[in-house]
Amino acid sequence: MTGTARVTHTGARGQSVESPALALLEDVNRDLASSFDLDETLQRTMDRVMQHLHVEAASIFLQDEQDHTLVCQRSTGPVDVTGTRVGPGEGIVGLVVATGQAIMVEDAQHHPGFAPQVDTRSGLITRSLLCVPLQTRGTCLGALELINRLGDDGPFTPADLDLASAVAAAAALAIQNMRMVRELLEQERVRKEIELARDIQLSLLPAPNPGLAVTGFNLPARRVSGDFYDFQRRPDGRVHVSVADVAGKGMDAALLMTRTISLLRCLSKAVPDPSSLLEQINAELYETVSRGLFVTLLAGILDPDTGELVYANAGHHPPLLRLGPGRYECLSVQAPPLGVLPVLGVPNQRLSLARGPCYFYTDGVTEARDGSGAPLGVGGLLDLLEQVEPLPLSERLPTLVEALRVQQRRFHDDLTLLGLAPEVFDEPLLALEFQAEPRRLKTLRRELSLALHAQKLSAKGRESFIVAVNEACMNIMQHAYGHSRPGMINLDLRRIGDRLDLLIVDHAPPVDHQRIGPRDLADLRPGGLGTHFIQSAVDEWQYGHLAEARGNTLRMRKKLEED
Amino acid sequence: MEFNLITKEGFSVVELSGDVDLSCSAAARETILRSLASGQPTLVDLSAVTYIDSSGVASLVEGYQVARRKHLEFGLLKVSEAVRSVLELAHLDRVFKIHDSLEDRLAQG
Repeated sequence: MTGTARVTHTGARGQSVESPALALLEDVNRDLASSFDLDETLQRTMDRVMQHLHVEAASIFLQDEQDHTLVCQRSTGPVDVTGTRVGPGEGIVGLVVATGQAIMVEDAQHHPGFAPQVDTRSGLITRSLLCVPLQTRGTCLGALELINRLGDDGPFTPADLDLASAVAAAAALAIQNMRMVRELLEQERVRKEIELARDIQLSLLPAPNPGLAVTGFNLPARRVSGDFYDFQRRPDGRVHVSVADVAGKGMDAALLMTRTISLLRCLSKAVPDPSSLLEQINAELYETVSRGLFVTLLAGILDPDTGELVYANAGHHPPLLRLGPGRYECLSVQAPPLGVLPVLGVPNQRLSLARGPCYFYTDGVTEARDGSGAPLGVGGLLDLLEQVEPLPLSERLPTLVEALRVQQRRFHDDLTLLGLAPEVFDEPLLALEFQAEPRRLKTLRRELSLALHAQKLSAKGRESFIVAVNEACMNIMQHAYGHSRPGMINLDLRRIGDRLDLLIVDHAPPVDHQRIGPRDLADLRPGGLGTHFIQSAVDEWQYGHLAEARGNTLRMRKKLEED
Repeated sequence: MEFNLITKEGFSVVELSGDVDLSCSAAARETILRSLASGQPTLVDLSAVTYIDSSGVASLVEGYQVARRKHLEFGLLKVSEAVRSVLELAHLDRVFKIHDSLEDRLAQG
């Protein structure tokens, strides 16, 4: 290890410290501390040392931060060797950097570490040599090399070594500081760019519009978000709504999200049908998305007058539809996310929001964890939705997120919520709640017959509708509740637009609806006719589940006759 | 709920009535199968049936199948409008032998 302290006490050849050596060190230190142009300062430092010690040539080598070769940063002398590269550990410079030990020799040609190729290239004959490491905080950044002491002063002395070491230490500190400043500036530049990206992302989210019956909330986990929501009113009064989540949450996710938004905004003007819209966006993304990135997207079109939502779902969480107090339907995923398969095969699904609001969410919500690491889950989200239900739509989502903060939940992922609540809550034609027991069926049929009396249906249409509802309730009694204690059945019949819309809810364990289908009538056997009756009686029917496996749903729709 | 089972002119006649739905279709089935178990040709009188659901229809289908295995006659009598439309819906109106009345059946010899 080279010393640096002694130079202030004893000069070369026993001279007083009131020598030019101290003056030199002062000048060098002042220069290095005040200058912002490192290269120029290093050059001046070298020139000063050369002059003071009377040497023929000097150079500063710095280690390349990428490949660790040593590059000559500055050189002074008869030949300019700036830019010369030396491999790690190669030559005397390489040795000094590798070991952190200074080398001082009278005749370099006979030193085992000497690499004659630099001499050959430069034409300079190296005789005496002093090379000290540029070290700071245990890291060696490079070396200062002094070649051929001139005149009658003889070879380099220990005092020269001390002086060179002191200069090298000051230079190393300056180089290190300069690098840190550069790094900070770079970080600041990146931070500003991310800030700009965040601003652009925020500007892409729609402005709140209380007239639309749609509200959204987005909270990025980092500065930029891989989540997105949108709502845009079309000229015909209907509203495009969407929620999306890109796999990942960094800059790449944010960029892919921006691309998806652009496609969505652009294509939705010409393609109102959600299924076709998702297919087209998928085709575009499939061509270009790589590295395992994908997007889940739920997009729909809402008619605020009727409360009807037609939507298509590419791999996103099912929307949660409120059917009544504490009862939310969870409508299952129908297709893979965007960017994975060339064709999605995603169907349109139809929802009526006449009975209550509908919420879209991303998993940042359900994965918000409390102090013990337990995620909120869909059940927790439903509880919070129920809490905010009495509030006006625009206040529900911010209040819900505030409740998550009060619970001291940590947000690991971007969090997005979208709420849809058109005010079309007409009174139902019939709302019944009854025990799932066969003896209740007769009353059900009578009530239904009365409720349908004033509706525009043929006698046959009315009769077959009653048969269908009866069969559906029988199925619940026989299959959903089965042998367990019969629970309740909720029935809600409404007129929505030009259709009858019936919702039947049970609270039995989830039924695998894939296994329920109309039987082949040619196959003559008792039983299994119920589903066929339902299919024959209505225009549309659809099974579903309550969220959190709290029950099953069946919807039937039948078009009314025209006036 | 109990249903009548009477014998007339060599036929066993099951008289179903009211709403034959899940609450009483088990009794209907039991009466039909009891009639066939006695080895009698069986007719199910449906004139007083105001409603029939798929479980009621299923008991008729089962009677039809059991009778065929036993080579016994099985038919329906006086099918009410409410029943006929459900049988049509299930495409069973051509499967069952349907007679307007017992006399009508007897006239066929």
